[in-house]
Amino acid sequence: MTFWALFSRNKGAVVGLGILAVITVMAATAGLFFPQDPFSLAGKPMSGPGENGFLLGSDSLGRDVAAGIAHGAKTSLLIGLLATLVAVLVGVVMGALAGYYGGWIDNLLMRVTEMFQTIPSFVFAILLVAIMKPSIESIVIAIAIVSWPAVARLVRGEFLSLRNREFVQACHTLGMSDLRIMLVEILPNCLSPVIVIGSLMVATAILIESGLAFLGLGDPNIMSWGFQVGAGRTLLRSAWWVCTFPGIAILLTVLAINLVGEGINDALNPRLRERT
Amino acid sequence: MNFRLMAVAALSAGALALGAVQASAQKAGGTFVKIVQPEPPSLASYLSTSGPIGLVAPKIYDGLFDYDNDLNMVPALAESVDVSADGKTVTFKLREGVTWHDGEPFTSEDVQFTVMEVLKVVHPRGPNSFREVTSIDTPDDNTAVFNLENPAPYMLRALSGYESPIVPKHLLEGKDLRDNDLINNPVGTGAFKFVEWRKGQYIRLDKNENYWKPGLPYLDRIVGRFIPDASTRTAAMENGEVLYGAYGAIPNIDAVRLREMDDFGVTTDGYSMINPMALMEFNTTKPPFDNPAMRQAISLVMDREFLIENIWFGYGKPATAALSSNFAATGLYAEGMPNYPASGNTEAAIEVLDKAGIMPDGDGVRASFTLDLIPYGEDWRRAGEYMKQALLPLGIEVDLRYEDVPTWIKRVYGDYDFQMNVNYFYQLSDPVLGVHRHYGTDQIRQGTAFVNSTRYSNPKIDELLSAGAVEPDADTRAGIYEEIQSILADELPVANIFEMEFLTVYNEKLKDHATSALGAYGPFDQAWIDE
Amino acid sequence: MSIAARRARYVVKRLLQAIPIVLAIVILNFFLLQLAEGDAVDVLAGEAGSATPEYMAELRAKFGLDQPLPVQLAVYLKNVVMFDLGYSFRHEMPVSELIFDRVLATLLLMVSTILFAVGFGIVLGLIAAMGLNTWRDTAISILSLITYATPLFWVGLMLIVVFSLNLGWFPTSGMENFAMFYEGWDRVFDIAHHLVLPTITLSLFYLALYTRLMRASMLEQAGQDYVTTARAKGVTERRIMFVHVLRNALLPVVTMAGVQVGALIGGSVIVESVFAWPGLGMLAFEALFARDLNLLLGIFLLSALLVVAVNLVVDIVYSSLDPRIEVG
Repeated sequence: MTFWALFSRNKGAVVGLGILAVITVMAATAGLFFPQDPFSLAGKPMSGPGENGFLLGSDSLGRDVAAGIAHGAKTSLLIGLLATLVAVLVGVVMGALAGYYGGWIDNLLMRVTEMFQTIPSFVFAILLVAIMKPSIESIVIAIAIVSWPAVARLVRGEFLSLRNREFVQACHTLGMSDLRIMLVEILPNCLSPVIVIGSLMVATAILIESGLAFLGLGDPNIMSWGFQVGAGRTLLRSAWWVCTFPGIAILLTVLAINLVGEGINDALNPRLRERT
Repeated sequence: MNFRLMAVAALSAGALALGAVQASAQKAGGTFVKIVQPEPPSLASYLSTSGPIGLVAPKIYDGLFDYDNDLNMVPALAESVDVSADGKTVTFKLREGVTWHDGEPFTSEDVQFTVMEVLKVVHPRGPNSFREVTSIDTPDDNTAVFNLENPAPYMLRALSGYESPIVPKHLLEGKDLRDNDLINNPVGTGAFKFVEWRKGQYIRLDKNENYWKPGLPYLDRIVGRFIPDASTRTAAMENGEVLYGAYGAIPNIDAVRLREMDDFGVTTDGYSMINPMALMEFNTTKPPFDNPAMRQAISLVMDREFLIENIWFGYGKPATAALSSNFAATGLYAEGMPNYPASGNTEAAIEVLDKAGIMPDGDGVRASFTLDLIPYGEDWRRAGEYMKQALLPLGIEVDLRYEDVPTWIKRVYGDYDFQMNVNYFYQLSDPVLGVHRHYGTDQIRQGTAFVNSTRYSNPKIDELLSAGAVEPDADTRAGIYEEIQSILADELPVANIFEMEFLTVYNEKLKDHATSALGAYGPFDQAWIDE
Repeated sequence: MSIAARRARYVVKRLLQAIPIVLAIVILNFFLLQLAEGDAVDVLAGEAGSATPEYMAELRAKFGLDQPLPVQLAVYLKNVVMFDLGYSFRHEMPVSELIFDRVLATLLLMVSTILFAVGFGIVLGLIAAMGLNTWRDTAISILSLITYATPLFWVGLMLIVVFSLNLGWFPTSGMENFAMFYEGWDRVFDIAHHLVLPTITLSLFYLALYTRLMRASMLEQAGQDYVTTARAKGVTERRIMFVHVLRNALLPVVTMAGVQVGALIGGSVIVESVFAWPGLGMLAFEALFARDLNLLLGIFLLSALLVVAVNLVVDIVYSSLDPRIEVG
């Protein structure tokens, strides 16, 4: 069966992919539908949904919530993807080296990984953003730094179990370089759990960003869902729409990414493949 | 104004107020839970004027005087004050029979020690308030005579238990003032005794049974609770778990909602001694703000009414000069200054820029800079976001920067590494105490927070400030400050945005909590709960 | 060698291995925190209103902040080795006292959350796995994902609005009723009463994780050879499920719960903030913004020790759940 056929057996995953597609399109076309700066004071402050030409209402300064969500989608997805990419890259390198070589390299790298894991991750993220000053770059870096150890541990485990397999031994006898064995032979074999964990990491990154924004550590110059939620939270009792709609956007995205992640997991997991 | 007369008038008014209180039907007893936010760093009000300390410490420490809502002096530890004709000898008659919470008697020695060895030395504003005091004589236990170098009319406005707490000599003498038991376990003469401080949760004060005002306080106990999240504070207020929240503990948006409910009241009283002012500081030594035209343009374009209406939900008054209009009562406030439109005037701002030759480049950009925002809450971020948008039509591009408190303080007051900074200052009860620090050349003190960060230096202003500080005649003094305000309205090293109105939100069960001009920083000895 | 002796040796070995890691963590954190601009004196001076440079210099000298970095580090390390976490100049209290004050509150929230999340997660995961691809499975998946994906502070505030303000069942915030100051059992009930909403809020977030983990783990185990063997031997499905599969499926759940203990200290900042719960997360948060570095280092050190200890416990629990895994 093709990957798609396996994937599409999971209806939730297909729905998730649909939602994700819509959000991606929204992010890509934000400038088309909402050509104005999402920060611009577009009209009467605190208008409810549908009032004064605001589809989803306006916030305390009269900024369009819908425009914010559309433009914010770009930022939130970008933060999620970039942070994950960095975390996966670092995690794979660390995990691969540790798992492949073993011995003191493994020992050293895993101790370093453990060190990062002992600091409470959310507090660590707050610390990093506070040190680097709140900006989109610092948020991405902070999320990546608190996320990579999980990838490293996973990849190391896979490398450990794969490095003694016959096909790897065969490569050794053929005189292949270590780098080539790692990249070409072993890595593709452990990609599926990495993809699964990576997809979930995108979701977590979006949540962390909104948590940081809640605590006042968002980038003040860039529209994101976290920014909207953070700016709207004190209005929750008076103007529910300001923080609820971006909150729903976060919820739907995280949900969709998780559903897709599960679908990928099911499709790539050979054991489940045989079962149904 | 004649200060002796003022004090005498205040005395009789205070006596009347006290009599009236005792005549009505208060109920004694009960625990009063209020919001203290954020958690104070210590309870040493003689070391730090940090806001949350003020919410607790004045219940424990008395001052020589309190002030009623019309800013009349009300006797506290001092029963009366007499200012000599030349203004250089100020004699306080102290109350007899007052004891500290540990049972020791309170005497004039305590006053002498407090002012000379504590407030003049370690208090952030004390050296300024008491700067003319050269010595204090204690002819007997109940008389303290302050000898002054020059007349210091403003000193009599700085005698409250919040601003100048009288501390026990017998517990502090010979100790390290910054490292001793009293910092976390205060012992005062006030209406409430310190009992317990559970970090992260609450501070508990119990009634002082031996308080010098007979029959007071009414409350058995005051508990100050720490609740970090603003929305939760509102919920706790709505739920009756706390009865009182001041200094913006309840966000304005929620106060506006609670105002409409029967059980809650909202007041802006109790902040007249504080006199807070929202403002913009410009770094006058660096482009683009070394050019006064830029500063004027920014002040001109600012829609002060929009900010007040939409971010502070109607609480506040557009600023119109370097001094707050609250100084009108003392005649120091000058009306009709230029560059202070209530709602923005974009055309005028563009005109100013054009005239100064600050023209748009090929992309229509006249200037771009980074705007630093005071990290004390969401409102200031909203203000920054508004300003960024408001400046776009001028062709001015702004990058917002929002850092945490230590980083921001170091940047603005330590390194002067900023261009424009949004901030707020307390103008306090006299310009000498709260306003001079912005403008004087002697106030360019690198590394000291909340002084002249703009590095504005103008010999003419320096001269006027010095004259204003010591001028005893009210009319002459008003003239001096009018000239100061007129110069500053053009130069604008600091452009005021609006006169802030802090809010106190309270449960209607709580009575007589606003008897002092100090409001939340008052002693609360007359407050009671109507269950 | 007896099993007990081997285990004891294993524990000692692991603890010895942990020492360099913990020291490395302290050093790493120490330098990391130095990167933050401004120091405790800037914060205190800023709060105080106005302070002279002489005053600030004096404070720095008193706090030891005027010393060169290596000296500061050496002093700190020397103290740590002697089990002294130093002094918080902001709070004018020893760090250990400050932390100890909050540990109980943190443990209460952490343990109740883990119990709640793991308990319900196991049950829901079990139900989902047993009804694979039925509506029950789907409903549980969606529900747990929604609770996971909803921002925590939103859930917290909504619970306060509904259960405190509208229904009046629970207090909005804090750990105790500060108008009453209960004692004895009344106090215990009062604290439990205050614990309910924060626990639910925090658990909802972790519930998804345990539900999914349990479901996946059950499915994984159900495909193992020993299940087929058992079935061939004629063991009832019920017995297979509850005795063999469940027991093995619990392993990853226990591991995860162990890992989570460390994360929970920090992961609860938002919940502690919303419910004014006096835990270590808020303490760390406030310490960071007050540049109370001794306090922050102390909290990080404690969390590192906790993670090391919990990992060890998990490994031991692991070996008793699955005799095939040997310690050593």
